[in-house]
This record gives sequence, C-alpha cells and structure tokens, in this order.
Amino acid sequence: MTTQTIATSDRIEKAQPGWVKLLDMSDRALAVLLLTPAAVLLALIIVYPVLRLGYTSFFSLSLTSGLPAEFVGFENYQLMFTDPVFWETTWNTVLITLITVPGALIVGMALALLANLPFGVQWPVRLSLLIPWALPLSFAGLIFAWFFHSEYGVVNDVLARFGIQGVIWFNSPNLAFAAICLTIIWKTSSFMALIILAGLQTIPRSLYEAADVDGAGRIRQFLEITLPLLKPAIVVALIFRTITALQTFDIPYMMTGGGPGTSTSTLAMYIHQNTVSFLDLGYGSALAVVMFALSMCVTAVYLRIIRTKE
Amino acid sequence: MSQVASFGSTSFFSGKPLRFIAASILLVNGMFPALWILFTSLKTEAELTVKPITWLPHQPTLANYIQAFSDQPLHIFLFNSFMVALLSTCLTLLVSVLAAYALARLNLKYRGLILSLIIAVSTFPLVTLLVPLFEIMRALNLLNSWIALILPYTVLSLPVCTLMLVSFFEGIPRDLENAAMIDGCTRMGALFKVVVPLCAPGVFTAGILAFVNAWDEFLLALSFNSNPALRTLPVGIQLYQGEFAFPWPVISAALVVGIVPVAILIVIFQERVVSGLTAGGIKG
Repeated sequence: MTTQTIATSDRIEKAQPGWVKLLDMSDRALAVLLLTPAAVLLALIIVYPVLRLGYTSFFSLSLTSGLPAEFVGFENYQLMFTDPVFWETTWNTVLITLITVPGALIVGMALALLANLPFGVQWPVRLSLLIPWALPLSFAGLIFAWFFHSEYGVVNDVLARFGIQGVIWFNSPNLAFAAICLTIIWKTSSFMALIILAGLQTIPRSLYEAADVDGAGRIRQFLEITLPLLKPAIVVALIFRTITALQTFDIPYMMTGGGPGTSTSTLAMYIHQNTVSFLDLGYGSALAVVMFALSMCVTAVYLRIIRTKE
Repeated sequence: MSQVASFGSTSFFSGKPLRFIAASILLVNGMFPALWILFTSLKTEAELTVKPITWLPHQPTLANYIQAFSDQPLHIFLFNSFMVALLSTCLTLLVSVLAAYALARLNLKYRGLILSLIIAVSTFPLVTLLVPLFEIMRALNLLNSWIALILPYTVLSLPVCTLMLVSFFEGIPRDLENAAMIDGCTRMGALFKVVVPLCAPGVFTAGILAFVNAWDEFLLALSFNSNPALRTLPVGIQLYQGEFAFPWPVISAALVVGIVPVAILIVIFQERVVSGLTAGGIKG
C-alpha cells in the first residue's frame, strides 16, 4: 500500500515544473535533516549512556570515596554473585513479573469482557478503565499503602465486616509482597483491558452467530473464536507489560520502601539505592547491565514476533 | 458499531441484572481508590482515628487542602510537574512530527531498519540508564534542573509518538500536499500548513500520551532533582511524611490535587486517548 503511494507521488513530482523542485531539497537530504533531531536525542539519552553503562561497570567508581575511577575488570560482577541482596532483589523482580503479568492479563480479560457488554451509556465504563491507567504509579502505591493500613485501612475494615481478623500487612514479608502484587495488578490490568476491549470490538458478530448455529457453547466460542483472534493484541500488550514489570520501582518504593528488611525490594530499587544513596556508580552500573540483559531478551522475542508477522 | 460482537448476545449474558453487576464491578474497580482518597482528604484527623473506620466523611472539611498547600510548596510541585510535562511534550511532538514525516513520506532506503530500531527503543528500560544519565547530568551540571528531566522524558515518549504519527501521516492523501507545493509552498511549509493541521487529532492524542507519561514519571525525578524547589509532584508528595507521623488526610488532599489535572484531561478526551492507546500498543 505504501509503496504504491510512493510510486504515484514520484510520478506527480516528475510532472511538476522545474522551479518547484528548486525550492526543495532532494529526498535524501531532507530525510537526513528531518531525522537528525530524533537521532541526536537518542544518541545523547540512549546510545551514549548505554556505552557508558557498560564501561563504568568495569570500574570501581564511588563518589563518596572521592577516589578517581579505577579499572577493576569483572570485580563488580563477581561481587554481585556473592551479594545476597542482589539475588534477593533479582528474585523479587522476577517473581513480581511472573505473578503480576499473568495476573493483569486475567483480570484485564475479565474487565474487558464485562466492558464489552451492550451498555446504554459507554463513557462511565471507558472512564473506569482509563482512570487507573492515568493514575501515576507512585500515587497508586501511596493510595494502596493507605488501603492496606493495619489500623485504619479499608482492606482490614472490609475483612472485619466479614468476620475475618485483619492483619498487619507490612510487617510480614509475604503479606507485604502480596499487597504489592495486588496493587500492581490493579494498576496495570486496566491497560490490558483497554487493549483487549479494542480487539473484542473488531471481531465480527457473524462469527458468533455462525457458531451459535453450529451449536457451539459459550465457552467453546470464547476458546475457539475470541481468544485466537485476540492473540496478536494480547501478545504485544504482554511484552510491554513484561518489560515494565522488570523495571518495577514506584509501587514497592511507596508502599514498603523495600521492607521489612529488603524482602520486597526490587532490582530497580537496588540500582537506585547504590547510585543515589551510596553513590557507588561502578556497582550500580553492573546491576543495571543485568537488568538490561533481562529486558533485551524480552525485546528480542518481541522483534522476532513482529518479523514473523511481516 | 452495531456489528460488533459482545460476549454473549442472548439470554442471561445480555440480561439487565448481569449488566448492572458488570457496571458495578467496573465502576468500583476503576473509581473506588480515587474516591476513597477523596473521602479521606475531607475527613478530620480525629475522624480518621475512630474505630471502626467511617466510610463517608461525617463533617467534611477543606482544612486538609489548606494544610497541604501550607505544609509544603504544593503549588511549586504542581508547577514543576506541569512545566516539565508540557515542555517535554512539545519537544517530543516537534521531533516526532519531523521524524514521522520522513518515515511516512520520503522514499527511504533504510525505512524498515529505522522502524525496527524505533520499536526496539520503545521497549528500552530507562531505569538501566539511571547511572550513566546521573553521571552525564552531574558532569553537565544539570542535576536539579528541568532539563535533566525534560530530555529523558522526551526520549521516553518519542518512539511511541513517532510510530503513531507515521500511521496518521500515511492516512493523509499525498495529493493535498502536492497541491500545496504546486501553489508555491515549500515541502516544510506543506508539512506544517497542510499535513500537521489535518493530523491535528493524531498529534494531539500523541501529545496527551506524552504528557501523561511525563506527569507519571517518578524514578528519574526522584534521583536527579533533590532540591525541594525543583521537585515534581510524585517526588514532592513524599515530603509530607514526617519522621514518625504519616498525615494521611493531608497526603490524600495533595494526591487529589495531583490527580485532578490529568483526570480532567482524561474525561474530556477519553475517546481520543483510548484510540491512541490501542492503536500504538503502548507501555502502561
């Protein structure tokens, strides 16, 4: 489709009088000019920092000691392997990803199926999916910290109404972790729901009518029509969600600050702590390289899926 | 819209009771946390520490809002957030309009490669660049400045906005542009006088998404701007916590103040935001 339009426009341009062309540069020069601002920004904020990240990870560079950077080879990486906090925060990050990504998918699917019912008025439904998406992650963390407050939180209040003794959520590593995961699932499921809902609305009704005629039940229709047709949209949404889940920072930072101890700390929080609090840039860089590698694996899968689609 | 499928078109699934239950679940899920914060912000400190807790405020008061602005410079946090988000949005739009035009309209040899690169960058974990960006901003003496945030935020939204705008530009007939150029417009003139106005809805949608991205960002703002006068809202809100006390009504009031601007944006432009989000398949 695109190549066709390009061909037509070339023909039109050839038909134009010469003086029109004089006012313009060649396509190539113009393309270079138009892409330069984006390229400069990406070079400054992504490419150079990535190179610098890899470089610094081989140095001992602590701003608190005031010593100049010293080349230490793989020492930072060796240190990492014997650092229990590194393993704990990495494990927490992976666990959060493994719990909240499928969790957000299931909750998002349920919300989308509910939102796809034929409501007379659409906007309240749409708004109730948009508000959690637009709420900053850090705000969601604070709001849910208040929800799970042991004395005056609404969660324990609701539990009490059902005769269940409330718990002190943030004193136990497991409960604190559960509270964080629930918050992340709540915050991210709405976006999943919006993507799935958009997919649902493109499925022609006639497919379901035909399935009705064939006598297929609701569940079979869902499994054999709805899910396969939604798959492309879901895969893209899942990949983006996985990459952002690996970077989880705001919600645990606001809810528990990583506590009790470091039991709910994530890799991003550990990188932040080493960089901003300890000013240990060498070790912080080595940690970031690990996270970079984790998320590049996911991106590679993503690019591969896109390629095979084309 | 009449030809769309609904999960279940007959019997129980389209019945009124089910729709009522479904609407209730959706509304409670979406609105309750924000509403709860609103209720909390209207309660007095005394009411907050009553057990069992009250749901609706018995004696609604605006005192917490006044205190939110007097305890901390909330208006400065708001101003910083707003300016950083606005400036980075403008920069994102300018840069991505130019790049998207080149990718949509010019016959580029490496178009496919550049698009793949942009997609790869759109999944880039900005968190990993915390250390080098911190070093760079420190070396350039940019820590505690708006620029330290505006540049990364621009890059954060750039890939998604560019991809969105490429598809918008491709939907505009070339003849309109060619006609403008025959009438004496330069190519850039045609871009800004013909293509951009026609794409205004798309450009606007991309702008809203970039704005919300920047408004939400926390980690870089927390790491780069420690000076209270330069804190953005998500970072500034932490300052309300005392060493031992956690003044929830005041924090809630500050949160409500922070939610309202974006909520207004979302309420007004909800359809546009949904179409933009679902077209791009954006991180969220």
